Amino acid sequence: MRATLRWAHSDLRTHRGEALFLVLATAGIVASLLLATALFGYATNPWQRVFTQVRGAHVTLHTTASADAGRLAGLDGVESVAGPYPTAALTLASQGGRASVELRGVPGKPEVGRPLITSGRWLDPATPDGVVLESRLARALLTAPGDTLTVPGTARRLTVVGVADSAEPRYRPGERSGLVWALPSAVPDPAGQVVGLRLTDPGDTGYAVQRAVTELGAGAIGEVATWQQARAEAQGDNRLLGQVLGLFGLGALLAAGFAVHGAIGTRIRGHLRDISVLKAIGFTPGQVVRVFLIQHLLYALLGALAAAVLTEALGGAVPGRLGDAVDVWQGLPGHTVALFTVPVGAVLFIGATTGLAAWRAGRVPPVPVPRPATAPAGRLTGVARRALGARVPPALVLGWHKAFTRRPRSLGAVGRLALPLLLIVVALSAWTTIDRFHGSPERMGLPTALSVRADSSLGDGGALALLERDPQVAAAYPGVEVAALVPGQTATIALRGLGTHREPYPFTLAEGRAAHGPDEAVAGQGLLDLLHVRVGDWVRMTVGDQPQILHIVGRSIEPENAGRVISTSLDTLRANDPELRPAHYQLRLEPGAEPAAVAERLAAAGRGHLDVHTVTNPADGLSPLRAVVLGLIVVLALIGLIELLTLIGGTVREGERDLLALKAIGLSPRQITAVTVTATAGTALAAVLLATALGLPLAHWLIDAQGRSSGVGAGIAQGPSPVLLLLLGTAAVLGAAALAALPAARAARRRLADTLSAVA
Amino acid sequence: MSESTTPVLRAEGLVKTHHGEGAPAHAVRGVDLRVARGEFVAITGPSGAGKSTLLHLLGGLQRPDAGSVWLDGERTDGYGEARWAVERRKRIGIVFQFFNLVSDLSVADNVELPALLAGVPPKKARAGRKELLAELGLEGKGRSMPGELSGGEQQRVALARALVNHPPLLLADEPAGSLDSRGTREVMRLLSRFHQRGQTILLVTHDARLASAADRVISFFDGRIADDAALDAGPPPRRAGASGVLELKD
Repeated sequence: MRATLRWAHSDLRTHRGEALFLVLATAGIVASLLLATALFGYATNPWQRVFTQVRGAHVTLHTTASADAGRLAGLDGVESVAGPYPTAALTLASQGGRASVELRGVPGKPEVGRPLITSGRWLDPATPDGVVLESRLARALLTAPGDTLTVPGTARRLTVVGVADSAEPRYRPGERSGLVWALPSAVPDPAGQVVGLRLTDPGDTGYAVQRAVTELGAGAIGEVATWQQARAEAQGDNRLLGQVLGLFGLGALLAAGFAVHGAIGTRIRGHLRDISVLKAIGFTPGQVVRVFLIQHLLYALLGALAAAVLTEALGGAVPGRLGDAVDVWQGLPGHTVALFTVPVGAVLFIGATTGLAAWRAGRVPPVPVPRPATAPAGRLTGVARRALGARVPPALVLGWHKAFTRRPRSLGAVGRLALPLLLIVVALSAWTTIDRFHGSPERMGLPTALSVRADSSLGDGGALALLERDPQVAAAYPGVEVAALVPGQTATIALRGLGTHREPYPFTLAEGRAAHGPDEAVAGQGLLDLLHVRVGDWVRMTVGDQPQILHIVGRSIEPENAGRVISTSLDTLRANDPELRPAHYQLRLEPGAEPAAVAERLAAAGRGHLDVHTVTNPADGLSPLRAVVLGLIVVLALIGLIELLTLIGGTVREGERDLLALKAIGLSPRQITAVTVTATAGTALAAVLLATALGLPLAHWLIDAQGRSSGVGAGIAQGPSPVLLLLLGTAAVLGAAALAALPAARAARRRLADTLSAVA
Repeated sequence: MSESTTPVLRAEGLVKTHHGEGAPAHAVRGVDLRVARGEFVAITGPSGAGKSTLLHLLGGLQRPDAGSVWLDGERTDGYGEARWAVERRKRIGIVFQFFNLVSDLSVADNVELPALLAGVPPKKARAGRKELLAELGLEGKGRSMPGELSGGEQQRVALARALVNHPPLLLADEPAGSLDSRGTREVMRLLSRFHQRGQTILLVTHDARLASAADRVISFFDGRIADDAALDAGPPPRRAGASGVLELKD
């Protein structure tokens, strides 16, 4: 043991750089895996916690005011019921802004879907105009208990007495109204009712919805929200972040595993002599394997430990969502287990790859013999001969020959170097795609920047005229959005009428064509998946008691509502219901217009009758991802660098054997250096080409798969610009050449005795 | 057999064929050998005769295709690589022509490593190392790295490393092969000195001058023992020619 330690200690002293790299790489990988775990935990767990604590309703049904929703309590599989409670739609205003809300009249604190008071207190008959706001809504309105809210257009005032968490789908400005609890007396003329069903078997949700609809009749049903929808919404971007981080963490782990394996392999080739001597003086093969294995396991352990400590101690201080996620994650039950398993798993993986290389070290014969000719090195190809004849610099020809003739090893080197580069290409694609959401949102399904709700006092024509009068508004598309029951009546989807036949809404189509004719519509991927239909199919849905039959002629990119959206023109919906009035206007702005500025101007022009929101960009939530992607690119570049150094070390060492021969045939030291540099650059070039060729389709596939699973739909993937790729490739090849130049030049100038020492 | 008559090393019917590229090379074909305690045996022969392979077989660095080796009367047929490694720690010291020292380790570490491997306490290992290096004229070189030493110095360190555990048997494979005449003289003087203290030595060399220092010279040719002659005990006869130049003094 002492002898082993002595050798390990000396080895560490002479190879500090390698040791440092292994520690840093492991730390980087483990940290990114831990952060991914934290984001996963963060994404799923707060909602789950709230849902459990509030005894959330699995199904929330909005019905007409006259429906006898109380009957649902008797349905099979319904464990308990919240409500029915009367509801009314309102717009509330505070200093922080305006929001459309659903005012829900509750006599006491509901047993199912019981709001979790986070500040203030619950409703009290002593303050009849008191309300409790759902926490996201309260945050959007910048209100706290004690504030007063106004209802624009009326003299009515409401006092906020509390703020509470709820497990129902969250408030999204301009899309989903926020939840406000009030005493029933505060909802004098309810527009509808809401009833929450808690089921004995949550897996039965679809069936429960179906029975509820049958019980009350399709005409009585408004919107149906299920717990799955609410959870998917709550997880949203965080899950994507977690997946991206996890994917890259695993990719980096794999790349680092290869890098470690390659580094140790090359080290062993360089140490053959020493290993032989060690064996000759009495090291057993087992001891040799153990020395290498323990050494590298220790480095990996050190790195993993550092990463775990850093993530645990400083992770919460990272600004933005990543920090929040770490904070929340630290309070979750699985935290300790993950904090332990992730580093241990990474160390074991690195240990396994090290074991393979160490095993080879154990098999080195104890006699310091000349190595068998490394491989059937291959003759100069005909092309190479002709190139030499044609006065192509011999260094180039020999370098090329050196890089690509020893098949298995050169392929291995190219592959190992290509892996981090490939991941970088994927990371750049993710970056470009996120960038595209901001740079040209119209190509990502967000052609309009503002969404406006108008008071009934303005009238349709008036509102439209007012909006289009603004110089920076390119077009205003009137629209409505209603909840429609899908066939089978197991869920509701958003049916949108947007634009008119005369002025169609500019949908971003990924498949099929735009909807022109009557009854034609385009749908998001989420809807196609939900209904198991394809572009070209006809679908029948129910709006109120009216059936609506639409022909899906295209698939649009739908970043909202998990893609469960079907859109047609307003005219198509009017054919069914001539009374239909536009509920909102989507505004397309002139290029270069600042949405916030236009919104302010329009709100002022509307004199309180217009409610203007900027359309939420799903990529806003992904901004922290950019920092993460950047960090990953750095880690991957580090891994690539090490692969490169390993490669250069190997090439230079092998070159030593030929040094005298090359000098003897009359190559200058500079030419001999050029041979090595060319070989390294050639390998790097091959790796870059391979990485680009594989990375681009892989990135497209991954991003599209992600888009499909989130309902947005395939077709959002964007490859990095050719310039960026060219830059990456040039940097890799030139960097490889530059890195190789110094050691190669030193090796070429070394005075070598004609001994066997260069052989082993 | 009594302790005194048991040979330190015995080999019977050793055969080793190398299968490299091209035709198989019969390096050792049927060698029987006995080395008694305290003997200094030189194996000479032209290069390519299979001398080194024979030495490797005797030190357990390579395994014979046929035949057996006895160490102190103990048959080693069943030894695996690991067992041989353990034997080499205490019972066999080896010096090669090249590659004797671990390049990453200092001179001191190179010498102490076998002692530590054999389970000697670090303090004792250090003391043994200091004593040996002093004896070999290498005081103050303990901290040097092998690359900083001359060839002769490196071979002396190698000798110290081979002898630090006081093994009953020293195998030396062309220990002076890469040295100049001064280095060669130094190494030979040291070998003779250790031999006079009772060290059993098996030396492989193609150099007749070196061989003349031994008690017994075995001529090796084409993988077989061609001649096995004991030189006179007493002072070596004065001869004309190359061997006459070499006067060995302690």
